[in-house]
Parts: sequence; structure tokens; C-alpha cells
Amino acid sequence: MLKSCILGLILSFTYTTIDAQQSDTLSGIGNEVVVTATKTERRLSNVAVPVSIISQKKIQQAGSLRLNDILQEQTGIYLTSGFGTGVQMQGLSPDYTLILIDGEPLVGRTAGVLDLNRITVGNIKQIEIVKGPSSSLYGSEAMAGVINIITDKPNKTTLKASARYGSYNTSDLNLSGSIRKNKFAYQGFVNGYATDGFSIRPNSVERSIAPIKRFTMQHNLNYYFSPKTSASFNFRMNEEKIINIIAVTNNGAVTTSNGVEKNKDYNATFQLAHRFNNHLKNTSRIYGTKFESSQELLTSNGSPYTDYFKQQFGRIENQTDYTINDLLELNAGVGYTIETANSNRYDKTESTKKNQIGYAFLQTEWRPIKQLTLIAGARYDNNELYAAAFSPKLALQYKINKSFQLKASIGRGFKAPDFRQLYLNFTNAAAGGYSVFGTVEAQKIINQLNSIGQIASFENDFYQLGELKPEFSTGINIGGSFKPGNKIHFTFNFFRNNIENLIDSRLVAYRTGGSQIFSYLNVKNAFTQGIETDFHYQLSNAFNVNAGYQLLITGDKDEINKINDGKVFTRDANGFSRLMEKSEYVGLPNRSKHMANLKLQYEKNNAFANIRLIYRSKWAVTDTDGNGLFNTNDAFAKGFVQVNTAIGKTIAQQFNLQIGVNNLLDYADVSNLPNMPGRNFYTTITYQFVQKTKK
Amino acid sequence: MKKGIIFIALIISLASCSKDTATVNSNNTPVSSVTVNNFAADTIIGLTPQGIPFGAGKYSFYSLETNKSVPSSDSATTKWDLGFRGTSIIINGGNSGPGMGSGFVFVGLYNNLSTIPADSTFKVDNAPTSYAITAGSNRGWFVYDAINNLVNPIPGRVLVIRTASGKYAKVEILSYYKGGVTPPASASDAIKLNEQRYYTFRFTYQPNGTKNF
Repeated sequence: MLKSCILGLILSFTYTTIDAQQSDTLSGIGNEVVVTATKTERRLSNVAVPVSIISQKKIQQAGSLRLNDILQEQTGIYLTSGFGTGVQMQGLSPDYTLILIDGEPLVGRTAGVLDLNRITVGNIKQIEIVKGPSSSLYGSEAMAGVINIITDKPNKTTLKASARYGSYNTSDLNLSGSIRKNKFAYQGFVNGYATDGFSIRPNSVERSIAPIKRFTMQHNLNYYFSPKTSASFNFRMNEEKIINIIAVTNNGAVTTSNGVEKNKDYNATFQLAHRFNNHLKNTSRIYGTKFESSQELLTSNGSPYTDYFKQQFGRIENQTDYTINDLLELNAGVGYTIETANSNRYDKTESTKKNQIGYAFLQTEWRPIKQLTLIAGARYDNNELYAAAFSPKLALQYKINKSFQLKASIGRGFKAPDFRQLYLNFTNAAAGGYSVFGTVEAQKIINQLNSIGQIASFENDFYQLGELKPEFSTGINIGGSFKPGNKIHFTFNFFRNNIENLIDSRLVAYRTGGSQIFSYLNVKNAFTQGIETDFHYQLSNAFNVNAGYQLLITGDKDEINKINDGKVFTRDANGFSRLMEKSEYVGLPNRSKHMANLKLQYEKNNAFANIRLIYRSKWAVTDTDGNGLFNTNDAFAKGFVQVNTAIGKTIAQQFNLQIGVNNLLDYADVSNLPNMPGRNFYTTITYQFVQKTKK
Repeated sequence: MKKGIIFIALIISLASCSKDTATVNSNNTPVSSVTVNNFAADTIIGLTPQGIPFGAGKYSFYSLETNKSVPSSDSATTKWDLGFRGTSIIINGGNSGPGMGSGFVFVGLYNNLSTIPADSTFKVDNAPTSYAITAGSNRGWFVYDAINNLVNPIPGRVLVIRTASGKYAKVEILSYYKGGVTPPASASDAIKLNEQRYYTFRFTYQPNGTKNF
């Protein structure tokens, strides 16, 4: 059955027609409206920084369920595993990409990773991805860029349900509806997701993806006082429960532990927008979010262990958009943020850790001549807990002619030290008794331990401990787009990010008995650079091709200095040490030099078929030669191609059927890609009860 | 230090030596580099109920002068130069033994160390607080990969040794695993435990008392 499906796909690709009707993708390029890049609505073709948009249709036709499913198919994005699924953008770790839902940040990161599995795609209208430092508008975390998830808004009366079932007993149910009556508009959404999980290790009790149940709902209520004034209230909730069975073999005896992990996520926004006249618009927003996570581990022969983490975040922000004339626009904002966290991994669960930030930003957009747009902006964040951050940005766009435009931007990004880096107070009794102390506590605790003779020796880094500074990056993006006519669209972007003050854990002291004590220091300086290109070709009205590629080069500046000084060694075939050549250096681990994707899409007469190939070249995983940095003599994970495909058909405008296969080639890498399932199948049915456009 | 009496027969059966290269020093006395394979150093015999591996707790001794292992019954003599137990390496001197031994870790290449620099500081063992060959991960000769539970010798580390009889030698640890091959990161814990604590090292011993190799 599968073979005939593929054959059908290939046949359909070679079949071309001449049809007067233009498809959505063709007319759509450049005309979509994007808000994330400038915090104001702009046409995609008029934005001076690198932005890409993923439409609802693309998400649906890819058969995605969670945010990571669709992001992994985008150029220049790699998804990391470990502490959930995080996003690596322009070669920067998940810690440095800000994730927003409708412009407001999600909180609740574990070891810097915000698990993208928490976000269902069922009610996503579009995903906007801004690359390059964006702290000039968004503050902390927006170092590599911003991913903003725009959810469905009520502008018509609809009611839609969909159900999907697939491999590993994975089911996903969605119900969404909206109604607009007089001055009220409401949009509601409910999603339920369950999977048995899977293990790609044969005969393993443990599952690399554990059984999970998730429930998400979102409500959006709007009231239009007048055409000029509107209020909206948005509420979102996500709950998940993960059952983990962990088996530890010790001397032949198997100890089984039952782990239950529960995560809850609430977000609420109230917004009041008023347009005074054609020149002046004001938007006030109040946002609150809470993330609560608990993990209970019951061991068959031991005491239960519980991990608890709660983070709350509140913000009030006012933004004023002032259009002076057709050539000049000003956007100004002020805001105040309060953030708290509690965890049993801090000194005690009851003691609430708190940080407050006051901030202001200003952005000017100036079009001195028709072809040229200039943007200058800056934001100042005044923090209670650590040094203030100033984040400027400059961007320009120049339209050389109708088909060719250039973009260039330079900006600063920062990431504030998180609560873990400030307050962690954790000793792992199981693994050799090592401890990690956040910087606020570290000196105090270690000095206390020393006074009772519990410290054997101090490392040099102990004396460097002090107030943590935010991590900073300076990013340059230079690119452009070439669009001769409607059939071809080519975009390219060169990027370079210089990252300073990177926070890393360092050994600071030894306890009597040899256990190690770690804390955090601003120690590392790194860079990432590369090229990203996307190519779109409309072969015929029904058939189009998208190809994307990213070249990525990364490095740690101190490591490069050491190599240049001839202080880094590796081993030859005999195991004898030799000098390491600079050409053997591979930079930061878990980064592929080449990433590419190819998507073939056919769409005609309410039916579609697509096949998507995602390629990732080898990446360094372990420093096996013991020299402390990653080079060609270390262990690498093999490069691979993942192939996903889907076909679908809409019948009678109301009923839609879709089937798909992910990981068609059944690629697996037990050690390095434990979260990647083998070949899996699904089928989705969608029924549109009501679909009425207002007016 | 503890004085053992039981000699582990395994050491003899597994230790084999080979001559690699010969160089000529400034006194025209040829000194050669010798590789010692699979020198067992208190191999793991069990796990505590907490899962912590343990061996018999005895050092395995080696004489650089005779290029032979030394029974632990001779631990209180000057017959041995180096003692190995797990990742700990002791030198016959200080409070580790009655010899004149001392040493330090030189950062650089084995072959480039033709003369021990005159300003070098030789340290003696002062167990358990300090050792001439500094104990611990990323401090002396090895780094512990805690994610994969593997011990990797740091490349470019030469153990410069003053022997029990006051002569000089240089030593490079090549591997901590049986057969000189580190198990892959994906290997089972059982393999990683069974195959560790087998040293492969090369050394050059200068019998004429000079610091030249």
C-alpha cells in the first residue's frame, strides 16, 4: 500500500497542467502580514530583518501536532533533545531564542530549554520566526531570535473538529469555533493529545518518549467599543502528564522506578487598544503566566523523590505607535515585569525568588526615499538582580528594483541570568555527591562549609565568583531576496553572532572526601556564523518546490586562542599525543555544518500531496580524545536524511481527509537521536460544521 | 599508605612490554621508549549496594628501572617507582614509599621533552591531601566524562618522574582501558566497568642520572 502511495506521488509530480487559477502559495509570497519583526503590522516584503512565516495551511499539510514537528522542517532550525525539545537557531542553544504566544513570552524552562512539545499547533494561525538579536524590542532571551506563535482570532463564524490517530497509539483531537456577534467576538479551542510513547532500544522497559497525556485550551474574547477602540481577553492553559518507568540494573538486580511528571501552564492577557486618529494608536497589555512542574519518582526499594518548580511572570506594557507622516513612524513602549520562582532545588521550596525589571524601548522607522527603509531602535532593561542591559538595533532595507532587494541589520541581544544560575542549591547524592550552587548562594555556602572543615581545596574559579552579568550577543545579518516574476523567489542571509559573557558551570571547590562543587561564571566567548538560503520555484500552477540550506560555523574564542598558542593536543593512531591542527577544530558540539531541506508540493482540485526531505550533516557529540574541545578526532553522530510525506483531499468543502508517513526511511540512531521515532503513520479527518465569513 | 600482601597474578599475565623507539641522548647513551600494555590497576571486583564500583583496594606497582611489575609485598621497598590504583598514581617517595621519588605533570609533547627544564618543581606525595601526580578529573593526567562514564587520558600530558633511586623518566598514559581501546560511549555500563583500570603507557627511563632523554 505504501509503495503504491509513493508511486502515486511521483507520478503526480511529473504531471503538470496549465491552469489559470493561482494557488495560495504563489500569490502569498511577500504579502503576508508580520507583527513580530517590528512590533507593528508590516507586510513581509517590507521588513528589514530576516523573517519567515509558516502558514496554517503549511502546518496542516505537514501533518504537524506539536510546535517542534513543524519547526524541524524549517531552514536553519535544529531541534535539540534533552530537557524536552528545544530550538537551535543560527547555531545558538535553546536558551537564546525567545518563544512568544501572541506576543507574550512563555516561561518554564528546564536547564534553559523551553519544551516545544508544550505547544499544540491546532490553533496556530501563523508562526513568525525572526532571526538575529531582537532584544531592542523584546528584552531578555531574544539573542538568536524570536519565535512568535499567532493563534486563531475570531473574525468569522466557524466550528471545526478534527481527529487524528497514528502509530504508537497517538491520538490528537481538536475542536475550535468562533463567533462574532454585534460587538462581541469569541474564539475557543480545545486540544487533547495522548501517546503511548515509544522506545527505539530493543527490549527496553524505558521509553525514550514516555506515555504522555496533554490537554490544551484557549479562549479569546474581544469586545469592540467602536471601530477605534477594542478590548480583548485571552486565556490559555496547557496540562501534561508524563509516566516514566526507569529501570536501573545494578549487579544484575533491576530496580524499577515509577516517575510521574506533571506540567501546568497558564497564560492570560488583557489588552486595550485605541486608535486616536490616523497618526496615533495606543495599546496597553497586562499579561500573567504561571508554569508549575512536579516530578515524583517512586523507587521499588527506596524513598520517594519529588522535584518541584514553579515560575510566575507578570507584565504590564504600554506601546504607542505614532505615524508622523508617510515617511516616518515612531513606536515607543514602557513596561514593568515581575518574575518569581520556587523550587526544592533552591535553598527551600517556600522561599520565593523574585526579580523585577523596568524597561523602555523606542523604535523609529524612516523611509527617506521610496526604495529605502531605515529602522533604529533601542531598549533599556533595568534589573533588580543583575546589571542593566542596553540593546540597540539598526536595520535597513533597500529595494534595488522590483525583483531585487537587500537587507542589513546589526543588533545587540542579551539573556539575563536565570533563577537556576542565581539560586540553585542542589547536591546529587546519587552520582558521587557533587553540588551545584547558584552564584548568589555559592560563596556563602562554600565559606560556611569551609568554616566547619568540609572544604578540601578551592579552585581558582572560586575567587572569580561574583555578581553574574547578562550574556550578550552582537549579531549582524546581511541578506536579500530575488523575485523575478511570480515563479521564482530566492532569499539569502549571511549571519554572524559574537557572544560574550556566556555563563557556564565551573568547578569551584572540592569537598573533604573529593566531591566536586560547581557554580556559574561569565566565562565563555563564542561565535556562530553562516549562510542561510531558501529557494522557491513554482513549476506549474499545481506543483512547487522549496529548497533550503544553512551553512554553520561555530567556535569558542578561548579554545581557538589555545589552539593558536599550540596548547591543544590530540592523539595519533598509536595513542601517542600530538599537536592538534587548527583545521581539526569543529567548534561547538551538537551543531551540524550543513543542514538542508527539500519540499515538493502538489496541489490541485482540493487535493494535495507533499514529500519533505530534511538533511543534517554529522555533528560532534563526545570529546573522546580528552582535550576539552571538539575536533575531528572526537565521536560524531552520523548525518542523516529524514523523509516525511502526506496526502490529503477535501470532499464537499466540509470534510477533509489526510494520511501521512513520517520518517519514511525508518532512520534511527539509538545513541544520538533517542527521541526520533521510527517510521510512523497517521490519518486525520477534519470536519467543518460552520464556515461563514463575516460581512 | 596501605601495605598490601596479596599479589594480583593478573598483572603478570596481562602486562606485556615492548620496545618502541630508540633515541640517542646528549651523552650518547641510547635511551628507548617502552610501551606497557594492559597493566591492571585494582580492577573492579564488585559494586556497593549504592552502585559504586570497588576493587581490592591495592596499588599495582611498576619499576621503570627494570621494566617489570613489582609484587605488592614489596610495597615498603624501593623496588618500585610508580603505583597505580584506579585513576590514582603514586610515586615512591614522600609518604607513599621509602624511595627518592617525586614528579610533576608536564604539559607538552612526549617527544619534545628531550630535557627536563631546569626550573621544574618536583613534588612528592603527601597522601591523602596532595599527590605529585595531581588526583582528580581534569587536574592531572585524565579527564572524566561524566555523561558517558568514561575516563580519557588528556593528550599532551607527560608525567615527569624521579624514580625511587633518584634517576629520571618520562611517562605518557595512553589508555585506561583493556587492549588500549576506550569503549564507545554507547557501550553498556558492564563493559565500561569491566574494561577499565587497565593502563597502557609508554615511558623512557634515563639510567645515567641526567635529565636528558
